[in-house]
Amino acid sequence: MSGEPILSVRDLVVEFRTEHGTVRAVDRVSFDVFPNETVGLVGESGCGKTVTGLAILGLIPNPPGRIASGSIRLAGRELVGLPEGELRKLRGREMAMIFQEPMTALNPVFTIGSQMIDILRRYKGLSRGQARAAAIELLAKVGIPAPAQRIDEYPHQLSGGMRQRVVIAMALSCDPKLIVADEPTTALDVTTQAQVLEQIVRLQQEFRMAMILVTHDLGVVAETCQRALVMYCGRVAEKADIAPLFAHPRHPYTAGLLQSLPRVGQQAHQDLPVIPGMVPDLLDLPAGCRFAERCARRDARCDRELPELDGEADSPSRVACFHPL
Amino acid sequence: MEVLQYSLRRLASGIPLLLGVTFISFLLMVYFGPDQTYQLLGKNPTAEQIAEIRAQLGYDQPFLVRYADYLREVATLDFGNSNSTGELVTDLLGRTIPVSLMLILPGFVLGNLLALLLALLAAHYRSRWPDKGIMAFSVTGMSISYLIVIIAFQVIFSSSSGLGWFPVRGWNVHSFAEYLEYVTVPTLATVFVALGYNTRFYRSVIVEELNRDHVRTARAFGVPPAKLLYRNVLKNCLIPIITRVVFTIPLIVISGALLVETYFGIPGVGKVTFDAITTGDQPVLKAVVGLTAVLFVLAQLLTDILYRAVDPRVSLS
Repeated sequence: MSGEPILSVRDLVVEFRTEHGTVRAVDRVSFDVFPNETVGLVGESGCGKTVTGLAILGLIPNPPGRIASGSIRLAGRELVGLPEGELRKLRGREMAMIFQEPMTALNPVFTIGSQMIDILRRYKGLSRGQARAAAIELLAKVGIPAPAQRIDEYPHQLSGGMRQRVVIAMALSCDPKLIVADEPTTALDVTTQAQVLEQIVRLQQEFRMAMILVTHDLGVVAETCQRALVMYCGRVAEKADIAPLFAHPRHPYTAGLLQSLPRVGQQAHQDLPVIPGMVPDLLDLPAGCRFAERCARRDARCDRELPELDGEADSPSRVACFHPL
Repeated sequence: MEVLQYSLRRLASGIPLLLGVTFISFLLMVYFGPDQTYQLLGKNPTAEQIAEIRAQLGYDQPFLVRYADYLREVATLDFGNSNSTGELVTDLLGRTIPVSLMLILPGFVLGNLLALLLALLAAHYRSRWPDKGIMAFSVTGMSISYLIVIIAFQVIFSSSSGLGWFPVRGWNVHSFAEYLEYVTVPTLATVFVALGYNTRFYRSVIVEELNRDHVRTARAFGVPPAKLLYRNVLKNCLIPIITRVVFTIPLIVISGALLVETYFGIPGVGKVTFDAITTGDQPVLKAVVGLTAVLFVLAQLLTDILYRAVDPRVSLS
């Protein structure tokens, strides 16, 4: 964590207009990503982690969604308010995204080769033959056996893990500065998950990229990230380096998440602790802390006031809680 | 090789369909169809005269024998002579089907290509004003009766009280210039109506495809919007589009031409069919119905083979 951040997100607010009113899916989220590091974005479904990732690439579907305020800087360049045409040229080249669903993320009617060659030719100005050679090399790099044959296959001829490797190869193809990986292993079976994750970590180091890893899986975060943001209901609940986050979580929500992880060696018949209650409806948020309903440390102030992140903006560990652990 | 094998298998499986269609058309149009006995007899015929005529016409044969005769006619394309003109039915069709094709083809091709173009535009600007404009136009085309469109276009383009640019009726074609003269107004009318239905359908297919994950992936890798439509989306949409286009071919060849040909006085196969229905010209009816059934089976085969060409996930085995 040194020098200038590759990505700098400040007070990002993303809103969606729905039939029942405007929903604030991401509420004043700020964080930095430095070169060569992986930052985890952790939280339950609907906490705004994926929307944050999409907002960085300017892929929020508009309408109904929009970036209402805030700033996203990629290598010093402001992305919010950039015309679509300009933003488009950064996608795939400066920043790339890996999606959750490898089964549907690739176009079924084109070979994986043609989909990869397309990107390589657009950004690197390669000839068809050069682009094909580069694509084969990339496929080999992400661990696809017999890439020279595989390149002419269609997505349905590959397994889920293989398809995700293809998407990763596409993301790497133009040496982006930043990769947003949105639940890259969630749709895969457990053994494949481990392999693909290992591959991602290895390639991230080899290509010296910055990466944002969006996931609900704390195990994945522990294995891959240097730092993590825990999100709840569109807000950052806690951000910290990985080791302290796991050893001494400060936000009661983080602590709850960690306790609900099953551990090897735990007594077999002991019930896994759960966080009681439900995530509040984003259309009907409480005035105070959004986690208060489900929190054991709640008092009157938690119901009245919305806690902000404590400490300095650049301090390594910050928590948005009146009664941190 | 795979395609050939498949075609043969598919053609074989089309045989029951052909039998079914021909059976029904035989039942309705031949067995219970027009009876010519009394047209051919003089006044006050005797019972012997009636029996003789019926034997000549083959009406006295058992049901299955008559059906088998009909099947043989379809298989050998030998339907005999027209009752009303005495012309050989195959000659009659050979003369009129090309006219119908020349009349219908430009409208069919333009109606689909323009609709696809408009649908791509509408889908790209979905729920914004270009989309709303195109959809309003398309609903208008759908809502006005084909007949009204034909008459209105004749008045506007061909009549002396309108622009008077084209002949109102007829088909006096000896050169390409004359062909254009006679084909323009029918084509405009066909395109106007076809655009309505086609654009709406194509738009909904394209919009559905645009919402798929692979389109988001393409956007995330910086594919420009126009390329997104014509490369990343269009090919995926082709299956429903092919289905629709190919299946309208048998319809437009036979019955689609009927209205246009009648109103523009064009001697095509639609006009011939119409006349055959009104005069009870059995040989012609048998030919038209039988050939339509064959066309449908072929269209189905063509669709399946085109599916395979478009979508690698479709297997022909």
